[in-house]
Amino acid sequence: MTTSIIHGPPDLVGDESAPVPPRRQRGRFRGRARAGITAWLFLLPVLAVHLFTVAVPAVTGVYYSFTDWSGIGDAEWVGLENYQRLLQDGDYLLALGNNVKWLLFFWTVPFFLAILASFLLSQVRRGQTFYRLVYFVPYVLPSVVVASLWKFMLNPDKGVPSFLSALGIQGFDKALLGQESTALWTIAFIDNWHYWGFLATLLLVAMQSVPTELYEAARLDGANLWHQLMNVTIPAIRPTLIFMFMMTGIWSFLVFDYVWVLTQGGPAGSSEVLGTLVYKTAFTQFDAGYAAAQGVSMAIFASFLLAFFLLMRRRGWEI
Amino acid sequence: MKNKTAQALALTVVAAVALGGCAATSEPGASGEQTVSIWLDDNTENPCFAETIKDTFAAEGVTLDIELKTDWDSLTKTAVAGGGGPDVIMTPGITYTLEYAKAGVLEPLDAYATEYGWDSTIASWALSAGKYEDTLYSLQSELETMILWYNKSVFDRLGLTPPTTTAEFDAVADALDKAGVTPFASGNAEWKGVNEWFISGLFNGHAGADAVYSALAGDGSFTDPGFVEATDLITKWQQQGYLAGGLDRYYTTTFDEFLSGFGAGDYGMNMEGSWRFSNIDTFFSAAGNEWDWVPFPTKDGRELYSIGTGSSWGINASSKNKDAAAEVLNHIFTPEIQAQLAVDCGFAPGPVTLDASMLEGLDPRQARLYESVATAAAKGDYGYLTWAFFGPETDQYIYEEIEKLWGGSITTAQYLEGLQELNDKERLAGDNPPLPER
Repeated sequence: MTTSIIHGPPDLVGDESAPVPPRRQRGRFRGRARAGITAWLFLLPVLAVHLFTVAVPAVTGVYYSFTDWSGIGDAEWVGLENYQRLLQDGDYLLALGNNVKWLLFFWTVPFFLAILASFLLSQVRRGQTFYRLVYFVPYVLPSVVVASLWKFMLNPDKGVPSFLSALGIQGFDKALLGQESTALWTIAFIDNWHYWGFLATLLLVAMQSVPTELYEAARLDGANLWHQLMNVTIPAIRPTLIFMFMMTGIWSFLVFDYVWVLTQGGPAGSSEVLGTLVYKTAFTQFDAGYAAAQGVSMAIFASFLLAFFLLMRRRGWEI
Repeated sequence: MKNKTAQALALTVVAAVALGGCAATSEPGASGEQTVSIWLDDNTENPCFAETIKDTFAAEGVTLDIELKTDWDSLTKTAVAGGGGPDVIMTPGITYTLEYAKAGVLEPLDAYATEYGWDSTIASWALSAGKYEDTLYSLQSELETMILWYNKSVFDRLGLTPPTTTAEFDAVADALDKAGVTPFASGNAEWKGVNEWFISGLFNGHAGADAVYSALAGDGSFTDPGFVEATDLITKWQQQGYLAGGLDRYYTTTFDEFLSGFGAGDYGMNMEGSWRFSNIDTFFSAAGNEWDWVPFPTKDGRELYSIGTGSSWGINASSKNKDAAAEVLNHIFTPEIQAQLAVDCGFAPGPVTLDASMLEGLDPRQARLYESVATAAAKGDYGYLTWAFFGPETDQYIYEEIEKLWGGSITTAQYLEGLQELNDKERLAGDNPPLPER
């Protein structure tokens, strides 16, 4: 039983244990119901838009993944045929493998850079805003602009590689985006250039909420910066870190723009990812039913990631 | 499921790209005024096209509404799938229009063809290419053919003669390379379809147009020796770095880069289509060099033009103004307008009967091409461009998979077997565009 410490009539101070006359109870119920209806009415337009733009296309997309739809006109039901094709399609498996490489890259490189940069920046008192701005700016640039800029900068005859080659540094005389062995990693590098600063800014905000007493206590115990990072900062920002880990994983299966602008999946499919493959299958091959199956598989992979993190949260992870 | 709105929405999700809303076809106005809508690609040439058509179209009670749109092809497809889209549907070629026709979203044009007498102004091969199950659904414009462009100044300086046979072609490429000039201006950084320009040229030129026809018709095979030799030749050139200076450069060189280099004399030849007439002068005049073209070399030196079209036009079956739309189509395909588009805007004319006087003001080298193609086509000396006459999946295979061959991860035999397999699949499924008889 709770007791109000505020003096005054019980119904005004929220003491729910106080007896309430039946008529007033009904009135309160009606009031709540009215408030609920009002809230739903306000939500309805958003819900309708969401259903129309997300839920309906998603459901129909799943439906079409079981058909031979060309993208226009009627569709014939083909059952699981499109999903069976996925398992035997070398191009699909290649693209899936590239998405996995992409995922591993983005689960490591930007996180390493962002944790390091944000931790070091958290130690800085003057000029922090400037650095945060510098980190963040690439993230707000349109992907087409960033990709085009880097495409120009990586030109082996006129860009940065030509200077490196002129300095006698080996390995830069070939176009990095034009080789099967380097194209995917080069695109990942460029995408990371725009992404890691955003991640660093988010982590910095999380780090700023860590109580300074924890650092003071650690320093008193003789902890250096490395020990503070590993034993204070990272445990304290773990919810943000894990959340971003989950989101980065999901985004990794949806990558499209940088790959499309920089290589269109080439050379020889070496940078093909599921996003570009779906686009080609739907719009170039007029095989929208199969493209829908590819798209659904992307959603399934992302759902696995989401399910894993939700399971971990149930088991006590702070997300 | 036959709900067309749902189909359009599903396509949007499948592509995972944001597409614009689906505009409905134009309704007739209360005063009887009809508006015919057309969507075109938002490129640098189409404003001139739109202006020319608007300025010259003068049908009473019909207004033209031409919109230039980014990603116009995907937008059109999505809108049409949802029961909307423009009244006049323009697509990037026969293959695309065929899909629309198969889906039943295009209006049959046979009655209009009779009414406007298209069989007397439009080439018969082009009319038959626009048919699906013996019904005419589309008209083809922007006649395209693969030719061999060369830097005349470089050839004159090195004392080279443009090749007519495949053997000479290879020899000239070697001679240019020895002289320190990269043989071919090329690059596919912006458009992977560049890969199939060479395949189209060499398949028809070296294996022969008859062989291509037979393979497409199911009587021959793409694994025949002529195709093997043609594929090996382009692979050899790629591996020798004859295109753009090396495979890595080829994959990262843009149109502007290789055309500037071509004009400047860094490259000797360019295997490209006739569409390049629109701006070739820009790149050569800047460097003070001369350009010219010859027919794409063939195995025996016989003059042959592989043909196709760069765009295809039909009428939206859900249009409320079909007759007015047909009137607009007829206007676009009159020989006078096609000639004006060629002279004023640099557009390749459609396969219509043109009088030489109509092309007055056109660069004589360009006029020579149109005359040559018309003469050759009339004699049946034409081949089949891959993007115009191959099924969509086979076509994509041709330009995507060839990179694996160039990179060494598959063999010529594997590449051609895969091509044959896909062609068989699409031919039997009725996915190949109509093939003009030889």
